[in-house]
Amino acid sequence: MSSPVSTPEAGRRQTSSLRAPIGELIFAVLTIALGVFALVGSFGIRVPESNRVGPTVFPVLVAVILMVAGVAVLIGVIRGHLGSPEESEDVDLSHRPDWLTIAKLVGLLLAHLLLIELIGWAFAAALLFGGAAWSLGAKRWWVALLVGLGLGLTVQIVFGELLGLSLPLGPALAWLGPLI
Amino acid sequence: MDNFNLLLEGFATALRPEYLVFAFLGVLIGTAVGVLPGIGPAMTVALLLPLTMTLDPSAALITFAGIYYGGMYGGSTTSILLNTPGESASIVTAIEGNKMARLGRGATALATAAIGSFIAGTIATVGLTVLAPTLAALAVQLGPADYVALIVIAFITVGALLGNSVWRGMVSLGIGLFIGLMGTDSLSGQQRYTLGVPQLADGVDVVLVAVGLFAVGEAIYVASMLRTGKIDLIPITKGWRSWMTKDDWRRSWKPWLRGTAIGFPIGTIPAGGADVATFLSYATEKKLSKHKNQFGRGAIEGVAGPEAANNAAAAGVLVPLLTLGLPTTATAAIILSAFQSYGIQPGPQLFTNQPALVWALIASLYIGNVILIVLNLPLVGIWVKLLQIPRPYLYAGILTFAAFGAYALNFAVADILILIIIGLIGYFMRRYGYPIAPLVIGLILGPMAEKRMRLALQLSQGDLTTLVTHPFAATAYALLAVLIGAGLWLRRRRRRYEQRMAEELAATPDVPQAADSPRE
Repeated sequence: MSSPVSTPEAGRRQTSSLRAPIGELIFAVLTIALGVFALVGSFGIRVPESNRVGPTVFPVLVAVILMVAGVAVLIGVIRGHLGSPEESEDVDLSHRPDWLTIAKLVGLLLAHLLLIELIGWAFAAALLFGGAAWSLGAKRWWVALLVGLGLGLTVQIVFGELLGLSLPLGPALAWLGPLI
Repeated sequence: MDNFNLLLEGFATALRPEYLVFAFLGVLIGTAVGVLPGIGPAMTVALLLPLTMTLDPSAALITFAGIYYGGMYGGSTTSILLNTPGESASIVTAIEGNKMARLGRGATALATAAIGSFIAGTIATVGLTVLAPTLAALAVQLGPADYVALIVIAFITVGALLGNSVWRGMVSLGIGLFIGLMGTDSLSGQQRYTLGVPQLADGVDVVLVAVGLFAVGEAIYVASMLRTGKIDLIPITKGWRSWMTKDDWRRSWKPWLRGTAIGFPIGTIPAGGADVATFLSYATEKKLSKHKNQFGRGAIEGVAGPEAANNAAAAGVLVPLLTLGLPTTATAAIILSAFQSYGIQPGPQLFTNQPALVWALIASLYIGNVILIVLNLPLVGIWVKLLQIPRPYLYAGILTFAAFGAYALNFAVADILILIIIGLIGYFMRRYGYPIAPLVIGLILGPMAEKRMRLALQLSQGDLTTLVTHPFAATAYALLAVLIGAGLWLRRRRRRYEQRMAEELAATPDVPQAADSPRE
């Protein structure tokens, strides 16, 4: 039931180098694996005596959906029915996906979560913003960082100080705390 | 008449200055964020949800209504003014507006979209006002098995029928259902799939999933294949008066009304909301138009009708959401979780338990529509500026606000980690053509379906036939069979339609158009 690639655009996409189906296969296999995990995991759920329809019935159903759908997609992919990547205003589908950028963004997010409590939310946010803008090709990295700092401080003051969200101030802004 | 009085009371609440400010802010921010390229209504609502959490429930809901309508409208501005090749065939409605803009009639396209949205939104809100209380009164009588039937319908229509591929939709649905299972089972108190991680004992927050999929997933996806080069924006002619000529009005008003008539009913049934409605409206207008040859080259009917249908469907979606607690689109699912985070459970009892709140919300929908049109026509210049925002900053901003939203939920950094993981899932789903909406619907409706199913089976002492023998449930399943048939047919038709359209578009470059077009 997978969509036959018939539009001219889809046809072009299928032939472009971007569409190595190995990723598709992995995704489908992972779906099946998730289904198997759900099924196996459902045996580990303790069923209280009183429940006629216990907490395992629905998980088994979900596991079946995952496995059947995963297998169906897998067969489809092997037969050449590839999915068409989502279109978006700023996406150029003729580009190859840039793994380095993805890695940079994920790394920045991880750094952000590690730094929030150490250096304060505003500065962690400034780093995330500046770093992400730089990874995406902002011309001057220091402008990106400054914009990020402005954004971080604004959010910190408006949401943290005025609206009462408990965003960590960090050592540099600790003096702000008792003011409000 | 009783409902009418309640509505008036709702207006009295919603028109209080402080709430008007919130409605205004909601529409303004919703439109501004919705206009930003790459941000659809679902992402708008997901990203802005944390902002409303500090408000009291009425203010939050009123703000949210504004965000919802504003976000819906903002998207059409983007597609009309932003000149990005390649995706035109996938969104039928974007074509006409974009082509109109290229012919120098961008202001007209925006005006017919705005006025059409206003008219459709208002009529559909009247429909909601009339229909919702009645439906809620009927829905009180529905048993758990009936709800299971309704949810199954939503699963099948959203999961299997909307995307390009039935099985990819089902995979997405399954992942959503699985995430919904994680955490503590509400009926037996047993932990499921928590892997012994204490942070997972309460399950994965819906907001986290929505922000992760729509904001982080989208940002990573776009970043990995960012369109480089100058932003191709279509300039707009200035001046109020040149926006719509008499001829434009003459050609627009019927499509507006037809679009409303198509959009509202489709929005109310679990058939996937606006997508189907806009497509049907477009096809209808093309069939009925005297200017068939202009379609695909900038026909005003092709903007007026689908835009009206889009907004009418957006209001229609609120009918099952408010009366049954059933979201039928990803955006509605996020709104439902917003309701729940304020401690409000939409459903049949909402109208009897919290009439003041729900009527204030409905009143604020009327008000939001008025604010929308008042804001949008004069502020087009600002929206155009927003479209020029450098992309590195735009997506950096999306990521930063996504991380902020995730952190603001519980002030736990573990949530940001979950956000990243879900963001990566969202990235791969986009890249390999899996629809996102079924995941969100599965996540939010899965636990409801399970609870109701087990309740039904406990009432029947484990007799499975109880799920299908209730008259309402039986009717619903029969309807489902019809829906599947109609949905598959419609999809095939739509695909063929879009293919033909893509071919026509490829064959006709942007030459100045047919002779019978109005001047300008």
